[in-house]
Amino acid sequence: MIEIDGISKVFQLRGKSVPALEPLTHAVPEGRFVAVVGPSGCGKSTLLRLIAGLETPTSGTIRLGAGPVKRPVGFVFQDAVLLPWKSVEANIRFPLDTAGMERARSDAVVRELVALVGLRGFEQALPRQLSGGMRQRTAIARALADDPPILLMDEPFSAVDLLTRETLNDELLRIWQRTGKTVMLVTHSVEEAAYLADEVMVMSARPGRLERTYAVDLPRPRSEETKLDRAYHELVAALRRDLRGGEAPR
Amino acid sequence: MTGVRPVLEYGAAFAVLVAAWWYASGPMGMPPYLLPSPQATVLALVREATTGSLAGHLAFTLRSIALGLALGAVAGVALAYVLYRVPLLSTLLDGPLVVLQSAPKIALAPLFVVWFGLGLEAKLALVFSLVFFPVLIGALAGFRAIDPRLHDVAALLRLGPARRFATIDLPAALPGIFVGLKVGGVQALVGAILAEWISGNRGLGFLMTFAAATYKAPLLFGAVLLTALLGVALHLALGLAERRLLAWNDADER
Repeated sequence: MIEIDGISKVFQLRGKSVPALEPLTHAVPEGRFVAVVGPSGCGKSTLLRLIAGLETPTSGTIRLGAGPVKRPVGFVFQDAVLLPWKSVEANIRFPLDTAGMERARSDAVVRELVALVGLRGFEQALPRQLSGGMRQRTAIARALADDPPILLMDEPFSAVDLLTRETLNDELLRIWQRTGKTVMLVTHSVEEAAYLADEVMVMSARPGRLERTYAVDLPRPRSEETKLDRAYHELVAALRRDLRGGEAPR
Repeated sequence: MTGVRPVLEYGAAFAVLVAAWWYASGPMGMPPYLLPSPQATVLALVREATTGSLAGHLAFTLRSIALGLALGAVAGVALAYVLYRVPLLSTLLDGPLVVLQSAPKIALAPLFVVWFGLGLEAKLALVFSLVFFPVLIGALAGFRAIDPRLHDVAALLRLGPARRFATIDLPAALPGIFVGLKVGGVQALVGAILAEWISGNRGLGFLMTFAAATYKAPLLFGAVLLTALLGVALHLALGLAERRLLAWNDADER
């Protein structure tokens, strides 16, 4: 569960106040998959970083109904941001090591995650030996390693090619269904948002604010069939219209 | 790539050098007080070794280098990290550090003798001052080149400052630190030998001044030869450590 209550962010840049995010209120129930779309500069990444605690809000509060967990969120960046000196396995293990989990247990967890994200056989590879898609799989496994109830993803697949992206989307859905986590995914692809999410938040730029939300009631599990669904196309068209409209005033 | 090729290269260069040396001292007829033959040099070294003092001199020099290098590296990395984490301090200390760094430390050697005496301390002080600055600069460049998003990872994992240093900042800055260490390693040898020239009665540097003062050309050459070999060994050791620790940073794979 994520409860966002009047959260806003103003950056100070060389003495000037730059509002990045207007006060925003929204609640994401537990286990829901939410996508956030919007033009660049709409504060969608800032929103995600605020939820993750990587930025402090100028006003408002965020409550993560996560219970007494030390690390309530897993975060996947636009690039994988792996530790380049560690192998795939060691990168996935890193959150567990720093949480003090003993080796025998973390070994089992890592083995399971490697299988979950489809990296068997690449456990010992270094990040630079991997393709962008594989690096991002490693990053997803790392974000899932200490089993956070919330998974935040900031345009996680924007750096990989389209085919890989569609595969990763399906795998993300599979992982989400297996783990039941609350997922918030920032993307600039309206197709991705419509395909993956239960709910799409549309944001607009300058200053960033929540424009509207769409409930996505496409049937699950979703597959290539979904992309032929009339409702899917109508949603994609509506989202695109919203984004175009949001970009017009200059 | 294995470590075989550099060994071969060093070996070949060494062989050519010894052959030229042998030719100049033998068939070419250079007088032995100017250029003792390789055989005489090795003989002098063997004699010095069997009478027992060579090992002591070598150990003394090695100890100044190793200790000075270790202390200088730790201090250099430590100050670099403080400057990196406290930008205000770094703007304040920038000027003084540049002055200190460009001051010729070698010229301070006699002063170190006055301050620290004839023993190990003066040698350590000189080696330290020569190692410290290159490592400081290399490490600072290394720390400043860290991908800031790695710090987002640290924040998400709620890593404490010590944990973050050990698991993220230090390994990420290692390439920069090694640039400084390799410069510092050469400087350390120079510093140790020089400090032994000016004072004390131990070390390879002392052996050189002793041999020169007593007209023992073969022994002088032997000490120089040993020092050169020490430099090569130091270079190889640092290179080996770098290859082991920085395999992930190799640019040429793929």
